[in-house]
Amino acid sequence: MQRDLIGIALAFTISLILSSTASAQMKKLSETATAPAPFDPHDLSGVWMLDRPRPSKEVDRYWIYELNLEEPPMTAWGEAQYKATKSSFGTRSYPLAETNDPIFHTCTPPGFPRIFLHPWPMQVVQAPGEVIMLFEYDSIRHQIFTDGRQHDTSLGPLWMGDSIGHWEGDTLVADTVNFNDKTWLDRVGHPHSDKLHVIERIRRINHDHLIDDITIDDPKAYTKPWSAHLDFLLRPKWTLAEQFCEDQDTFQNIENDETKPAK
Amino acid sequence: MRIRALGFALGFAIILSCSSAALAQTKQLSEPLAAPAAFDPHDLSGVWFDDHPRLIRVQERYWAYTYTKEEPSMTPWAQAQFNAAKPSFGPHPYPLAQTTDPLYHTCAPIGFPIAFLYPLPMQIVQSPREVIMLFEWDSLRHQIFTDGRAHDTALGPLWMGDSIGHWEGDTLVADTVNFNDKTWLDRMGHPHSEALHVVERIRRIDHDHLVDDITMEDPKAYTKPWTAQLKFILKPKWTIEEQFCEDEQSFQSIDKDAGAPAK
Repeated sequence: MQRDLIGIALAFTISLILSSTASAQMKKLSETATAPAPFDPHDLSGVWMLDRPRPSKEVDRYWIYELNLEEPPMTAWGEAQYKATKSSFGTRSYPLAETNDPIFHTCTPPGFPRIFLHPWPMQVVQAPGEVIMLFEYDSIRHQIFTDGRQHDTSLGPLWMGDSIGHWEGDTLVADTVNFNDKTWLDRVGHPHSDKLHVIERIRRINHDHLIDDITIDDPKAYTKPWSAHLDFLLRPKWTLAEQFCEDQDTFQNIENDETKPAK
Repeated sequence: MRIRALGFALGFAIILSCSSAALAQTKQLSEPLAAPAAFDPHDLSGVWFDDHPRLIRVQERYWAYTYTKEEPSMTPWAQAQFNAAKPSFGPHPYPLAQTTDPLYHTCAPIGFPIAFLYPLPMQIVQSPREVIMLFEWDSLRHQIFTDGRAHDTALGPLWMGDSIGHWEGDTLVADTVNFNDKTWLDRMGHPHSEALHVVERIRRIDHDHLVDDITMEDPKAYTKPWTAQLKFILKPKWTIEEQFCEDEQSFQSIDKDAGAPAK
């Protein structure tokens, strides 16, 4: 418990440096100042929702569509792929009828890590030897084997990749390879090749918060590895609903909801 | 343990009356007579696979495309739907180019309980509030809430339905409603309406075996409930893999495998 508290304090110090609103947050926290709920850092189970600020200006809402605010360092190949994409989201948004987003019209799996950017909850379930993320969107799963096995090179290429993981202290380090090149890395069309290698450092920093520090390594598409930080908030009362891409009506309603200004 | 052993013996007695091969099986079992592996009947977790004999002619393996050898008792509405269906599978298959199977060409979710009829494994994971079946095929989920909630009539109509369950002794009784009518009930093209109501009585009868006594009730399509027993065997060394319908080639090779003689 002592070490966890230090970890939490450290995390808050880091967020203090990164975020201008953090001091306000610290103040609010110190006001309520109740004892933090106990948790087991190796138990990631529960329903989690991506937790990013919702700025009111639509163009600022990169977080829905991209892993990172900064433009990733693309190779010439990556840049050419990116220019050819016609995303229906983000600053370059095309009408639905013109988009070449691979998930529209064909409802192919969104792939990984793009799945994190669809605005629906994710549930972690754990079994001995594995940690499984179940995504509400399109019934997708991200299954991380923690039983010491190696990557299975006979598999794939896969839409969600082949994931193995191990614990480094309280951090689950997940390593995913063996992707196909049919998906976008995010919802604005940043590309990846089948050389994509994703490393996640997943940590439950307190009872209600989970972080996933993601490193994207794909020498064909990017000149160097780059990283993104995802925050998740526990939603104890939520459950995953059914949300298949095939329900086109539902899909479009949700996209409309999502592009409305924040309440 | 005693009660369970009795149940096991009873299970075999039933099989004995059904199958001519059972006599030989009983004999084989009595020879090694090792103590049965311990298990918790409320723990259904693990990777499970259809447990029907494979040493039988492909044409007789009805469980690869429907629930029972006997035809269900259809209403005129259902009979008309069934006559119009052109399955690619089962005793009267059409070529892929001609099939009206909703799964082909669109890769729509196959629905429930037809997900049990695909020759791919299923993994059960549990949390305190739910039992989840994860199907290898198309990453589908059958999520059964066991926390006492009622059906959520605000949902759907759904592809996989809305499932709640409770334990009656060592049997998980799952109740699923709120279906759409876009899926087939089996791979032969037996139809169902939105009135479909599925009751499952799921029981781990010993360490390695799970049975699911399933009742499908749909007054629009069937004149009486259609009942069947699904049998599963534990596959401790297996994992569920990625198997999306979009991988048309994999899909076709799976159908080829399913139709191939047993090894």
